Amino acid sequence: MKVMPGRTLRVRLTLLYGVLLALGLTLYAVGTSVYLLHDLRKQQDVSLDREIETVEGLIFLSPEGEVELRSEEGEARSESPEHGYVLEMWSVDGKPMFLSAGLEDASLGPAPDATQNPFDRSPHSYRLSNGSRVRVAARRHNVEGRVLLLRLAVSEEPLWDEFWDMVSVLAIGLPIMVLLIGFAGYAVAGQALQPVDEMAQRARKISAERLNERLSILNPNDELGNLGLAFNETLARLEKSFEQLRRFTADASHELRTPLTAIRSVGEVALQNPGDTAYYRDIIGSMLEEANRLTRLVESLLTISRADAGHIQLQHTAVNILDLAKESATLLEVLAEEKQQTIAVQGDPSITISADRLILRQVLINLIDNAVKYSPTGGRIEVRVKATTGEAQIEIEDSGPGISVEHAEKVFQRFYRINKARTHAEGGAGLGLSIVEWAVSVHGGRVELDSTPGAKCTFRLHFPLKQQEPTG
Amino acid sequence: MQILVIEDEPKVGRAVQEGLRAEGYEVTLASTGEEGFFLASSRVFDLIVLDVMLPGRDGLEVLAALRRQRKTTPVLLLTARDAVEDRVAGLDAGADDYLVKPFAFPELSARIRALLRRGKPEPATSLKIGGLEIDSGNRAVMREGTRLELTAREFELLEFLARNQGRVVSREMLAREVWKEPGRATPLDNVIDVHVARLRKKLDDPFDAKLLHTVRGVGFILSEETP
Repeated sequence: MKVMPGRTLRVRLTLLYGVLLALGLTLYAVGTSVYLLHDLRKQQDVSLDREIETVEGLIFLSPEGEVELRSEEGEARSESPEHGYVLEMWSVDGKPMFLSAGLEDASLGPAPDATQNPFDRSPHSYRLSNGSRVRVAARRHNVEGRVLLLRLAVSEEPLWDEFWDMVSVLAIGLPIMVLLIGFAGYAVAGQALQPVDEMAQRARKISAERLNERLSILNPNDELGNLGLAFNETLARLEKSFEQLRRFTADASHELRTPLTAIRSVGEVALQNPGDTAYYRDIIGSMLEEANRLTRLVESLLTISRADAGHIQLQHTAVNILDLAKESATLLEVLAEEKQQTIAVQGDPSITISADRLILRQVLINLIDNAVKYSPTGGRIEVRVKATTGEAQIEIEDSGPGISVEHAEKVFQRFYRINKARTHAEGGAGLGLSIVEWAVSVHGGRVELDSTPGAKCTFRLHFPLKQQEPTG
Repeated sequence: MQILVIEDEPKVGRAVQEGLRAEGYEVTLASTGEEGFFLASSRVFDLIVLDVMLPGRDGLEVLAALRRQRKTTPVLLLTARDAVEDRVAGLDAGADDYLVKPFAFPELSARIRALLRRGKPEPATSLKIGGLEIDSGNRAVMREGTRLELTAREFELLEFLARNQGRVVSREMLAREVWKEPGRATPLDNVIDVHVARLRKKLDDPFDAKLLHTVRGVGFILSEETP
């Protein structure tokens, strides 16, 4: 459709159908004309044969030995090819014995060759020297012992007249027909495409403030209905995204308020009380701590926002999971030691996946750190690395209080905290697990949470083992 | 040492100026790109601290213009943008280093020192402070004649603090230089705190004079004086 001229679909459709119609009709007209010509020819040849037979019956030899035609009718009809026919009779030795008046000095061809055997020829077309076209039949005829070579011709002009009449009618009628149907088609196309215009109008009115509006669908089963449904689905997704965005912004603002409030209160109170340098140093230190907390929060928010926009570039390398797990555990070793906990890392040392090492490491550090935080003194944290068909699995199990089912569903949500008081004091904003979830899914994997409340909690990470293109 | 600071945010500019002056540098402060460019072109500075987001002529333009003038003064960029593309753009424009806001002042100070020290190697395999002696070559630590038994990490931590003795060292600097970590991750803060506590136990607890101090909200400092 790209090569067709015309800016609008309506014009293009009409032109296309018009051209197809014209082509079709032309083929039909040509076919009909050719058939007509063929048919007229056949009829003419049949009548030519009959004519020559009739003439054969009229030939006689005059007492002088001349070849003559019997009836006046025969004479009259041999006057001219337009009204009847013209006739030649030749002797076997090539001498013209009879030439009808209409021929004058024209002839129906060169002197026939009597040796041509058979002499009888089927009718053929011939152009006389005066330009008119005739159809000629030839016969060998025996009259009273004398062998004559006959040639009889009738005019082709009537045939051609009839043919060209028909062609003219078709030639004039066809373009008119195409034009008329073209206009009608243009009108019909306009009618059919009108709903598209209406949809476009309505869609323009829907803006970010009014995303809850939808297009009305008249017939969900036709192409327009399909388009409308797709549109509405897109709007629904957009609305959901906008809602998520608004909620995130609101949540983030609330989170930012907490450290800001602390800074403010601490500062204002300090200024109210006179104190010594050490006191002020302490106050300023406290405010700086909150500033640091704010900074970390902002970093997390930036990470999430970039992750959402897909701006984070993953650098994939072959990562040995057990090595990475051991590295992460070693980093956090001291924290476990402080609580007399054990971090045990075990598993299959051969499992390697294609991943961004830094991001994966951050995931493991986050989860192990959580495990240490939530496990009691003397507790045990286990990290297990294994593989099943097509998948690598990492399990991080702690011996903490676990997560109940109602929290388990939401724990990966942004800003979600089970116990707000506790985690804020430790600097968390509830973003850690949502970052973990993003980091795992961007590698084509998924996170599972399995918990026995009161006893333990296991995070299970699944990663595809095949050579898979990253989704990030 | 002459340092030019080009920063449009007055509080930050003044704070940086005061802080660097306290460390012994002579600091000139410019608050617009044009002013900064004028000063940098007409006078000689040992280092330029340049904020990327400036009104009018932005930091990268000023930097590119200075480089076109063949000024080879080391430039430290300050910026709120930490995406990889922004870093690359900054370094491509001719910056020597890049510090993301909000930064800890000790960090700024350390990087300025590093830039100014370029070409001159890190001194000494032996570090001394108070009764403390650190032999980097043998990885041995003595205080008041007593040998201290430190883990590898504790040693590296102490060595770094000793190299920066008398100056506050932030947790970020420790994370980067001692633990060689790329990011600012919370779990690492706790790890650092635990190591500092353990080091303090071995270094200070047996002795009267305390060398390892915590500066609340900023970091740690190895110094004979209490900050």
